[in-house]
Amino acid sequence: MKVSITALALLFIPVTQAQKQDNAAEASMGTQEKLNVDSANQQAPGTTETTEDASTGKRDGQKVESASHAASSLVPSSASWDSFHGQLNAQKYSPLKQITADNVSKLKKIWEFHTGDVSDGKGDTPATVWSATPIFANQTLYIGTPFDRLIALDPGTGKEKWHYDTKSSRKALTQPVLKNRGVSYWQARQPAPGQACQKIVYMGTVDGKLFALDADSGKPCSDFADNGMLDLNQWNTVNAKYPLSVLQPPTVVGNHLLVGWAGKDWAYAEAPPGTVFSINAQTGEREWTFEAIPAAIRKRTGTANVWTHMSADEAHGLVYLPVSSPSPNYWGGNRVDPIPLGTSTTALDINTGKVVWSRQWVHHDVWDYDINSAPTLMDITVNGKKIPALIQATKQGFLFVVNRLTGEDVWPIEERPVPQGDGSVQGEVLSPTQPFPTKPAPLLDQSKKPEIWKLADIVGAGQCSRLWDKLTYEGMYTPPTTKGEGTLTYPDSAGGVQWGGVAYDPQKQIAVVNTSHIVQYVKLYSREDYEKADNGSGNESGFAPQEGAPYGLRLMVANNWLGMPCWQPPFGEIVALDMHTGDVKWRRPVGASQQYGFFMPESWGSPTIGGPAVTAGGVIFIGASMDAKVRAYSVDNGEELWSDQVEAPAVANPSIYEYKGRQYVAFVAGGNTILKDQVGDQVVVYALPE
Amino acid sequence: MSQSQPSRLGSLLLLLAAVIGFAVALYAWLTPLTGVTGTIGALGVAIASAVLALLTFILRGASRRGARTSLIVIIFLMLFAIGFAAALLHQYIITAAMVVGLIGLITLSRNSVRHNHRIRA
Repeated sequence: MKVSITALALLFIPVTQAQKQDNAAEASMGTQEKLNVDSANQQAPGTTETTEDASTGKRDGQKVESASHAASSLVPSSASWDSFHGQLNAQKYSPLKQITADNVSKLKKIWEFHTGDVSDGKGDTPATVWSATPIFANQTLYIGTPFDRLIALDPGTGKEKWHYDTKSSRKALTQPVLKNRGVSYWQARQPAPGQACQKIVYMGTVDGKLFALDADSGKPCSDFADNGMLDLNQWNTVNAKYPLSVLQPPTVVGNHLLVGWAGKDWAYAEAPPGTVFSINAQTGEREWTFEAIPAAIRKRTGTANVWTHMSADEAHGLVYLPVSSPSPNYWGGNRVDPIPLGTSTTALDINTGKVVWSRQWVHHDVWDYDINSAPTLMDITVNGKKIPALIQATKQGFLFVVNRLTGEDVWPIEERPVPQGDGSVQGEVLSPTQPFPTKPAPLLDQSKKPEIWKLADIVGAGQCSRLWDKLTYEGMYTPPTTKGEGTLTYPDSAGGVQWGGVAYDPQKQIAVVNTSHIVQYVKLYSREDYEKADNGSGNESGFAPQEGAPYGLRLMVANNWLGMPCWQPPFGEIVALDMHTGDVKWRRPVGASQQYGFFMPESWGSPTIGGPAVTAGGVIFIGASMDAKVRAYSVDNGEELWSDQVEAPAVANPSIYEYKGRQYVAFVAGGNTILKDQVGDQVVVYALPE
Repeated sequence: MSQSQPSRLGSLLLLLAAVIGFAVALYAWLTPLTGVTGTIGALGVAIASAVLALLTFILRGASRRGARTSLIVIIFLMLFAIGFAAALLHQYIITAAMVVGLIGLITLSRNSVRHNHRIRA
């Protein structure tokens, strides 16, 4: 049993003095012990609800019905890339060896395809953000677009096989942009010849609908929900005035579609609770639901949702949820009650939705440090012992490594005291401690206030120094304040590591992850002051109301007047870790930053969105950087081996597949306005010359 | 003012640099997948190259020593700025062109000094 420092401290604090801390401390406890009770069918109140079938135990004891795959080894022998992260274990690993570190420099563009679904946001249509990894299944490459169209392409030529238009709203309903993260694939264990919808492609839309199409013809599957369309907003019954978007493709585990959703960050104190739905892959019927927020407080808070992809260990019947933070993001006075599943990695029984274990990575989150990427599952050998592990990268730049079957630490994770703020924010009850991994070391140095970049300070005539002086900072978990220019936050809300997550070479036991080093500052404004303030906002910056909370907020990137970062480069790195030891094998700046078209030196690196993929050929493929280049690095030493210019930053993880004996690497170059205002609609595929 | 042979060569080299700078920067600005398509930087270098050509013509026509010296200094700074900016745009042909332009400017300014000495004598 784990006993946190917080719990020990509470034993010595008089109840009358510690009532408020008590709430936060309860929230802060990872509740390993409590949640293991759930797995013994004693559901903790307010943590998990399941639909009738599951909660009555009718499905208990069933193993995952593996439809599309047999329960797969963590070292894949076949080269499928039929889900968002390549495989359900989220390793983003291909066993293909045709392209190697020695010949990757010969890689050529074989084909490209332009979807036409792109907007720079200057007209009536919001800007597009395209993060869809193409998936390879059924001898076809499938892709979703930000206009919520689904396209099937010939993997060898890029010729369109079919497309389907969901005719969804092209309005920024929950996001400031039109966004798509792609599609999912399912097939029956033994597809009946000539029968439709034995193979299905799924895609969600900005207006909360989930479409199921026959993978061969692109026609809707009539047996699925309402003629191939399932409206998730029909189940959005708590705080229902706020709509859901389904931007992330469902995670397909056996015959289950696991569907999370996205909402509108920073806008409201109340929001729909972060329900995850398990849906029958063929019928669209709801099987069970998971709720991260206790029932008693669902009306006054919300989210703690799963907006990114999940991973699964089919052999053990577990699905892993990266759970985001509750609403509102930068003030927690409405949610001082325990929300132990918020900002966590939570493992569920795939058949019942019951919590098997959960680890909370940020207690009482007031920094919007959502868990934003699928945990990567891996078998690692530490001190000669084989461990079924899981690595969870976080926005803070931490890598938490735990046993994926039990949630227990692989390397110790310590609860350490954190700043308690300046008392300027009413109703806030902060957690006295936060979890810190002892190994691997943090991917970026958040142990001290980021150093000012002298060049930016000089160009800004001391602007950066003046800003630094006006910012509150007592360490990484310094809470938001109403004073000065606010609180310096590092890493930023987009994350030290983003939803691209960690790639893993299971043969070499090397994990690869890219980071962004961005400093932001956040200030809370009383409702009265907020109304008077300039309320302009952009994507991931500017003002946000947090309606229903006593404070609105302003969130800014710490740049000088010329747009130069006030903190020292590098602004992004790629890091390889030896998972036998948890030590860094190598690290290097990744990509190049670009401003007004000018490429900065590559030693300065670039912020990145999108993650890497690794191959048995010893190559890492990654786009992600501001300079809109796609690159290949050596797994062994990080040497850059190849690059090519694409239409916009390739902010999706690449996919790697084999078709007719040839190895291909596919990127989408869609851009993301968080990086810069360069958008694209290009699918680009590379291979070695024949 | 009549132009000597070296002066004409210097002017031609400067003009050549400006034309190459303008053409390459415009191409980079307009063409997909140059890495700087549609960027302010590429457009700025194209405009600066056009201004460089204009200043070259003005320099050819300038007869007063002070004006010529000022123009030479401005053109020198422009060559440096365009060459540096082009390198940051990864348009190294423009940077090379600016080196050619610098040779032209040196030729032109040397000739200008000798020419002025002869006038004084």
